[in-house]
Amino acid sequence: MKKKRMAVILSAVMTAAILIGCGEAGSTRKDAAGSGQTSASSEDAVTIKIFSNLPDRKNGQGLVEQMIIDEYMAANQNVTIEVEALDEEAYKTKFKAYAMDGMPDVVSIWGQPSFLDEVLDAGVLAELQEEDYTDYGFIAGSLDGFKKDGKLYGLPRNTDIMLIYYNQKMFEDNGWTVPATYNELLDLCGKIKDAGIIPVAMDGGDGWPMACFLTDILVKVAGTEYADIVSRAVATGDFTAPEIQEATQILVNSASVGMFQMGYDSQDYGTTMNLFTNGQAAMYCMGSWDCSMALNQDIAPEIRDNIRAFTMPVVEGGKAGANDIAAWNGGGYAVSANSPVKEEAIKFLNFMYQPDKLSKYGWENGVGLSAQDQTAYLTGNETELQKQVMDILKDATSISGTPINDCGPSAFKTSIESEIQGVSNGSTSVEDFLAAIGAACN
Amino acid sequence: MKKLYSNKLVIFSLVLPGVLVFVFGVLSPICLSVYYGFTDSTGMGEAHLIGLRNYMDLFHDRVFGRSLKNSLFLAIGFICIQHPLAILVAAVLDKLQGKAEGFFRCIYFIPNVISVAVIAYLWKFIYNPDFGLLNHVLQAFGYQGQINWLSQENAIWSVLIVLIWHGFGWGMLIYYTGIKNIDPIFYEAASIDGASWWTTFLRVTVPLMKPVIQINVTMAVISALKQMETVYLLTNGGPSNSTQFAANYLYQQAFKAFKYGYGNAIGVVFVIICVLATVGLNRIFREQQDV
Repeated sequence: MKKKRMAVILSAVMTAAILIGCGEAGSTRKDAAGSGQTSASSEDAVTIKIFSNLPDRKNGQGLVEQMIIDEYMAANQNVTIEVEALDEEAYKTKFKAYAMDGMPDVVSIWGQPSFLDEVLDAGVLAELQEEDYTDYGFIAGSLDGFKKDGKLYGLPRNTDIMLIYYNQKMFEDNGWTVPATYNELLDLCGKIKDAGIIPVAMDGGDGWPMACFLTDILVKVAGTEYADIVSRAVATGDFTAPEIQEATQILVNSASVGMFQMGYDSQDYGTTMNLFTNGQAAMYCMGSWDCSMALNQDIAPEIRDNIRAFTMPVVEGGKAGANDIAAWNGGGYAVSANSPVKEEAIKFLNFMYQPDKLSKYGWENGVGLSAQDQTAYLTGNETELQKQVMDILKDATSISGTPINDCGPSAFKTSIESEIQGVSNGSTSVEDFLAAIGAACN
Repeated sequence: MKKLYSNKLVIFSLVLPGVLVFVFGVLSPICLSVYYGFTDSTGMGEAHLIGLRNYMDLFHDRVFGRSLKNSLFLAIGFICIQHPLAILVAAVLDKLQGKAEGFFRCIYFIPNVISVAVIAYLWKFIYNPDFGLLNHVLQAFGYQGQINWLSQENAIWSVLIVLIWHGFGWGMLIYYTGIKNIDPIFYEAASIDGASWWTTFLRVTVPLMKPVIQINVTMAVISALKQMETVYLLTNGGPSNSTQFAANYLYQQAFKAFKYGYGNAIGVVFVIICVLATVGLNRIFREQQDV
């Protein structure tokens, strides 16, 4: 009898343990849903969750984003904004997990087919009313990448220009000059290498910066036909256009003569940038978003104050002039379609994009160029680098649009960013590289 | 107590948690994976059944083939380099006795307790051709050039060294425990017969360690097949997929290329290969035992 009672107690304990386990999960869900509903319905407590790709909250764009968030919370005492920030690779992975399981309210996005096509097909982003933004000063065409079937789903943050940053003092000390043609760039790299310095610091480990570099060369080769050539290649899976072949061959030749640091194809963003900011490399190939280097107190003043930039020199025989540049409107923000606080999230988004917020703060913090008109915020105290970049954009006769790696589906992006390492280091032929990236489009 | 365990209610309540974990934590994900492997799912939105297309594509996928070759290379590296060294070190440790034995046991095990992320970044710096420790050490010994340790040709060897170093302590500890369980009478008998340390190691220790070696070899092969974290953080499969492994490739296809269905197909084939490898190894070892 005693044993029987013990058996019943034991069974009851086991069952209770299981039920408690399940029950707790259930109650957590209920609480979470409950808090979401409270946020949506109560005027006194609104929580907006932001998922950002800017983990550095003390420098550059992350700082600007955080400044606006703090300002919004100060102006709206009932609003709490929770930020989850991851770097780009981790961000994109988690974004997908969120897309399957419920997105945060405001998210970072990229207005490029490689990212946005699948996201918009899944219907996870809320539609925005384009007419609401007529007074926001967006540069003509900058919203296009964030639209589908004429509907707007996100807003661009930056105008990104592909640049070659250089150390002006190092150039002057050694008698080097900014190259006007690609052959001059190659000659310059030879001289820099002979001086025992790395010519160009290249983040080849991540793949995408090198794909942007290829875009830059292709723009100089193909001129204003760049976008048509690339979209045709992506649509057909045939990348054998002479311009693409020539641009790829130029990249291969550049790498083979030692334009980049040893091991560039396995080194990451931070390591590469450090080579330039600690004076081991004379040049650094990256987008205009890294203009904040000129204000970064962690970089030694003798380097920080001497950072300048130029755009890809013209390629001999190419169709582009010096002012046809590789530039695009890439990153931006969107609101989740299923956000329980959608209205408040859109309100915050609109606050963020008021011309005197993202655009102004971005300019003041040297974050490069906004996708909105920034001329009203020039103070005259801009860094030389900022002025240079501003002039580059002002003098541009054409801008390329989306870089080649972001023009196709995600599978194409994954493929080109991996295969470009092989073609640049000579382990894959140009023909095999073009065939491999073409196959990824089908 | 015996009656208690024969009570069906007790048996049911004791078995139920395990069954639930197995059904929801193992069986359901596998079934879902098999299902998604037959779809064109991107991980978001609707998925459509596409039959065997993912598996046909996988059959022709050059990168997947390369990742399997790399797994095989790693398994051979583990079996031929890591494990003989681990047995040898375990045998030497056994002979050390005293404080030195415990000290070196800890030293060899340290890499195992360090986070994979730390290990990967540590070795990234060690391998850096410009400011890495390895090239500086070589230059200190008079070597004039620079070696690109993570180049297309060298990267797989560099990854192998890191993985051997990282897993060495674990393998060594299992062998060490095995050696400790060998009855000392065998060593006494060998000693009386005048066997040297090396002869004793080859003729007594190694044969008696056969079951431990079998377990370790099986674990090494499985570990080589499912290699992911270190490679992801050290090279992410690059340059140009030269250090690609199946698990990392699965991750890239499912979560970066938005080919969730294809990623699941890789997962299914991957599980089948793991099961076949385990069954195959068990059969080989059983046949050897029978002989």
